[in-house]
Amino acid sequence: MRLLAVLLLVTILLPPSAMAEDGARAFTPCRACHSLDPAERNLPGPNLSGLIGRAVGSDAGFDYSPVLRKARDEGLRWDAKRLEVFLADPAAMFPGLWMSMRGIENAAERQALVKFLADPASR
Amino acid sequence: MNRRQFLGTAAIGILAAPALSRRAAAQEGPFRVKYFPVAAGMGSRDTTPAPDGTIWFCGQRNGTLGRLDPRDGSYKLVDLGKGAAPHGVIIGPDGAPWVTEGGQNAIARVDPGDHKVTLFRLPEKEAYANLNTAVFDKNGIYWFTGQSGIYGRLDPKSGDMTVFKSPRGRGTYGMTITPKGDIWYASLAGNHIAKIDPATGNATVVEPPTPSQGARRVWSDSKGRIWVSEWNSGNVSMHDPADGSWKAWKLPGSNPRTYAVYVDDKDKVWVTDFGANAIVRFDPVTEKFTAFPSDKAGANVRQLDGRPGETWGGESGNDRLVMIQTVAPA
Repeated sequence: MRLLAVLLLVTILLPPSAMAEDGARAFTPCRACHSLDPAERNLPGPNLSGLIGRAVGSDAGFDYSPVLRKARDEGLRWDAKRLEVFLADPAAMFPGLWMSMRGIENAAERQALVKFLADPASR
Repeated sequence: MNRRQFLGTAAIGILAAPALSRRAAAQEGPFRVKYFPVAAGMGSRDTTPAPDGTIWFCGQRNGTLGRLDPRDGSYKLVDLGKGAAPHGVIIGPDGAPWVTEGGQNAIARVDPGDHKVTLFRLPEKEAYANLNTAVFDKNGIYWFTGQSGIYGRLDPKSGDMTVFKSPRGRGTYGMTITPKGDIWYASLAGNHIAKIDPATGNATVVEPPTPSQGARRVWSDSKGRIWVSEWNSGNVSMHDPADGSWKAWKLPGSNPRTYAVYVDDKDKVWVTDFGANAIVRFDPVTEKFTAFPSDKAGANVRQLDGRPGETWGGESGNDRLVMIQTVAPA
């Protein structure tokens, strides 16, 4: 609980530009497969523009892992909390996920990435 | 024969077999499939056989390099360091495993004797290379790829490292060396393969005939022909640099997704198909596929390697290694 409070405080106190920089940095490895430009298609990973609020596995035309198709069929949607938990260990949330990465252990880094993905104004 | 019938044939052998070891009803040989459970949650992925008979394997999710003894199924894990996320492993001329260690953005050497880890970090300006796959050339130089859109060379003796920008940016993925010593890589996001000139470090792009095919991995056969696993198209394709020709074969099924490719000592081609949750053998002579579906869902075998008589992979989704014996034991 104390850790959560500290993290929240850090998030609030951190200058917006610093957090944006951290978010942009955290997104760098993701760029190998993903784009935030809605016009950029046919990459190895789904397009991530407008991710927050949309259904899991719902980038039209992208061929998702069976586990993500199942999540979509069950009506799961991306919100900031789910995304942060996902980024901590993607394969734990969705076993058998085709995407392969180690989760982001650092909570501040995860939160910066979530903000970066969720808020175009922060980029 | 359609895909359902075809896979069904192999499945008969699976259902009749013990839990961890079974004989699959393959078309061309008495292939025996064996599974080796490893640590839960480790994400066991790329593998390579060691000279002493053990198998090294990467634990991308828990930052370790594993060493399996196939004789009894025991294994040891070597911690590669804080935040480690190893992707690929190969054996060097020194007999040691060398790892593309993406988590620490470094090449890692693990001493096979005392398991001491030595890191060769990438330059600071290449801080997020997303390290992927590597090969050693005939002069002992370690060549590697980074999915951010780089490739590079490391001289293990001096520690000198040079990083090059891939000609078409992000996506630089699998890598192979031909018997003649030519080095090739595949670009997943860039939809091409490329040949590296070791003298200059320049890469020359070669376009596969299938558009947006998603060339993910490459492996040379004994004749120097480059076999390509095409993730988007579901093809396995072959480029012959000698005459510039290409051939491509679609894997069986309605939605094949070709991830890994490996060519064995008999020039038989092995691929993994995420769509069918299977390892698939392709015989270039007969042009026939033989599928070995996993006995567990979501196997996600991301790379294959082997030694005479054995093809190896890591079921990253099931935390197991899988071995297909291609020669009946004496």
